Amino acid sequence: MRTWAALSPALLLVAVLFGGAVVLAVGRSLGVQGVGAGDGPSLHAYRELVRDPGFVRSLGLTLYVAVVSTTLSVVLGIAAALLLRRLGAGRRFATTVFQLNLPVPHVIGAVAILALVGQSGLLSRLAAQTGLLDQPAAFPAITFDPWAIGVLLQYLWKEVPFVGIVALAILSASGDELEEAARTLGASAWQRLRHVTLPLLLPGVLGAAVIVFAFTFGTFEVPLLLGPSSPTVLPVLAHRRYTDIDLAARPEAMAISAVITVVVVLVVLVGSAATRRSIRADAP
Amino acid sequence: MTDIQLRGLTRTFGDVVALDDLHLDVAGGSITALLGPSGCGKTTALKLVAGLLRPTTGRVRFGDRDVTDVRAERRGAVMVFQDHRLFPSLSAGDNVAFGLRMRGVARRERRRAASDALAQVGLTGLQARRPAELSAGQRQRVALARALVLEPEVLLLDEPLANLDAHLRSGMRELILSLQRARSLTTVVVTHDQEEAVVLAEDIALLFDGRLHQHGAPRTFFERPATARTARFFGSRNLIPGQRHGDHVETPLGRLYVPDGAPGGAAVWLLVRPERLTVARTDSDHPRVTGRVVSSTYLGTRTRAEVEVAGVRLTIDASDDALADAGPGTSLTVALPPSALWTVPRDADLTAQGGSTAATAVGGAHTTVSGPAGSDRATAGGGSGQG
Amino acid sequence: MSALHRAPGTEVADAADAGARGRGRGPRWVVLAVTAMLAVLLLPFVPLVLASFAEAYFYPQVLPDDWSTRAWRVVLDPDGATWAALRDTVLIAGSVALISLLVALPAGRVLGTRRFRGKRIVELTLLTPVLVPAIAVAIGLHVALLRLGLAGGMPGVILVHLVPATPYVVLLTAGVFANAELELEQQARSLGASWWQAQRHVTWRLLAPGLAVAGLFGFLVSWGQYVLTLVVGGGRVVTLPILLFATASGGDTAITAATALFHALPALVLLVVTARVLGSGAMTTLGGAR
Repeated sequence: MRTWAALSPALLLVAVLFGGAVVLAVGRSLGVQGVGAGDGPSLHAYRELVRDPGFVRSLGLTLYVAVVSTTLSVVLGIAAALLLRRLGAGRRFATTVFQLNLPVPHVIGAVAILALVGQSGLLSRLAAQTGLLDQPAAFPAITFDPWAIGVLLQYLWKEVPFVGIVALAILSASGDELEEAARTLGASAWQRLRHVTLPLLLPGVLGAAVIVFAFTFGTFEVPLLLGPSSPTVLPVLAHRRYTDIDLAARPEAMAISAVITVVVVLVVLVGSAATRRSIRADAP
Repeated sequence: MTDIQLRGLTRTFGDVVALDDLHLDVAGGSITALLGPSGCGKTTALKLVAGLLRPTTGRVRFGDRDVTDVRAERRGAVMVFQDHRLFPSLSAGDNVAFGLRMRGVARRERRRAASDALAQVGLTGLQARRPAELSAGQRQRVALARALVLEPEVLLLDEPLANLDAHLRSGMRELILSLQRARSLTTVVVTHDQEEAVVLAEDIALLFDGRLHQHGAPRTFFERPATARTARFFGSRNLIPGQRHGDHVETPLGRLYVPDGAPGGAAVWLLVRPERLTVARTDSDHPRVTGRVVSSTYLGTRTRAEVEVAGVRLTIDASDDALADAGPGTSLTVALPPSALWTVPRDADLTAQGGSTAATAVGGAHTTVSGPAGSDRATAGGGSGQG
Repeated sequence: MSALHRAPGTEVADAADAGARGRGRGPRWVVLAVTAMLAVLLLPFVPLVLASFAEAYFYPQVLPDDWSTRAWRVVLDPDGATWAALRDTVLIAGSVALISLLVALPAGRVLGTRRFRGKRIVELTLLTPVLVPAIAVAIGLHVALLRLGLAGGMPGVILVHLVPATPYVVLLTAGVFANAELELEQQARSLGASWWQAQRHVTWRLLAPGLAVAGLFGFLVSWGQYVLTLVVGGGRVVTLPILLFATASGGDTAITAATALFHALPALVLLVVTARVLGSGAMTTLGGAR
């Protein structure tokens, strides 16, 4: 009983605030206490969404951004960890610099990426100085672009170190031991990576990938500052509808945020089931 | 049957010399133990043989093949690690089949080979288990099967018994011996435990501070140790200072006839092996000394008593009712048969460390595994005694 | 989510350094590749630093023609907008850290030291707010907070910041309790310490550094928060991220750059402190603290 008493403040806070938010959003999206979307519960807002090509394209863009940035973060993060591990002296220092971006708020990252790869950013200036181009507009548009490359760059800038640090922690905890064993059993470098190191990293990196996906699917400020405006990603779309002068758009905003939540929760559930399965395989 | 020749193997880590100029031959089909306290360089030596480390200088030869520059995965030496190192995400069967899979052996064939190998280590039917579902002893057996299934030229065992409970050790020991003998596998086993080395190996290489200290058959280490350090490492309890005069040694116990013993100066340690001492009978013609029992411990199969004779503490181990009945304070006469006696050179350093004569003897009795390393180094520097 | 469950204190660098690999730097190509990688990761800060010290940063200047500390003087002006935003941000983040920590202490102790039925569900419950995007929370809570009269003010903002911050602090605190050798408390008692003495001399010293870091994480989660503040603060609560966004769309690149760098500072302080106290592996957890 004392266990639950000790937990209750934290659980209560989460249940009231977070649970409240979810219940209210879903409720409103269904027209309960709606502000003009008809009387009584209805799926009106969702029907509107499904019919809206803007929403569908937006959902596609958001999924594309999240999947691509998650995949690349995982691949590059693992590569970075393997690279850092091979470093002898100075590894500690390099690891510290490597994680410098982790605690930096995303808004700053977005501003910095814009200053680097925006059309009048540092790279564009360097290109102009070397005579490669004569005006900002000649620099390839990789911010506010339909492929959201600026957004992807910002996510990678932040998430590659995250996945890398997770992988590095796993590698350090297990040491070279299993790779050594594999070597004496005749495994080549590639075979060791494929059959020993990657399976070892799988559970932890899978967990990290779920976090990266949840984040890149739901972030608002980065695509707002760097991303395309039409279509835009779901969080920005939700905010746009929510702050629309037409209050009738509000249930739709709620429905969009419900969709975001459902997608993230699904990915979390699938991811944590997969993680648990791979953890069970190597539980001590 | 591939023999192993190590020629001048040296390996440094930064400023630390982990292994210093090791020369060693391991006969084809035999088991050699690399023995020594932790940090003596034995595991470094094993990894150099396995190819997991590259020597700073020196060569490794398997038979007539110089493998110094051959990568570990192509060397044909398989290592079994102390902590088993099974791949956690693979089943026991897949762990055993791992090496065959790396070689590109077809699935069916490697399955069959793996289940055969598991059967040989007494784990029939456990192919599907994950390492997490196996006991410590079973994991070690899987690791052994994983190595043997590859039919390696050379088998390297790193402390194969250290992680096992006492009751599992003898079974594992028997298993290693029987499998090794059946295949005549050239085997090197690393251990810090002299008992394990004695039971497993035909040849023991004792390492201290990165150097080979003594090399030979197990019996020599007990019966004819080259140095006091070897003797102490092998559990000698009675080291008594003496002066050698020809075949005799002058000690606080009296003048004793000890014809052999390690060569050296006049200053020697007289080693008295506790289990060869007996309570003196009147009809015995061995030399005898009389002292007072200081303490007596019943050890089940025998009794260990400490007897103070002429300022020297002498430990005696015997299964003898007379000893069991001799309580502290009683007087006891001990026979010193010639087979109990041996001498090793005594260094000035070692005497200085010990202080007074009696204290040295007592100190010797308490030193078990590793004496103060620094003061013993002079002895170790004397090289690899008789073999 | 093993990345989140990984207890703080997992040493990344230490364990690796202990390897008997000798003292070399490793193969040359590795050193070059790592250097290149780190350079790319740090590159985005370069234009910020250049711009923040430019009097005017016209295209296509790479280095500004005229250097100046104008932007930094504006940002650090005690009567200026940045300073006011800093004050509010610190106030909000400080309150969030404090409240989270108070809530987290009992919960973290239980989660870190006891096994009980439903523990996994509690952990998952605590994790969801971390993973569910802030925009959903913001929109969901806004109307309710409007009705309660809490929208558009600091208390409302603090309240919504607690949603992502508290779970983090609880899970970190649980890790701190799990890793601390609390058996030492019993040892102290058996050596004659009173309950109070044992708490003060043993338990507190074991826990304090970890709890400080947990609090810092809570601070940082709030510190970087944008959308929750935007929606619930309704433009009336101006924290540093809000200000930064406004200046970023406003045009003065020098001031934007200086504000961004100024805003990044506490994060770097946290990095150093965390690495000192918990070992660099703890940064895994920080990866989720957005």
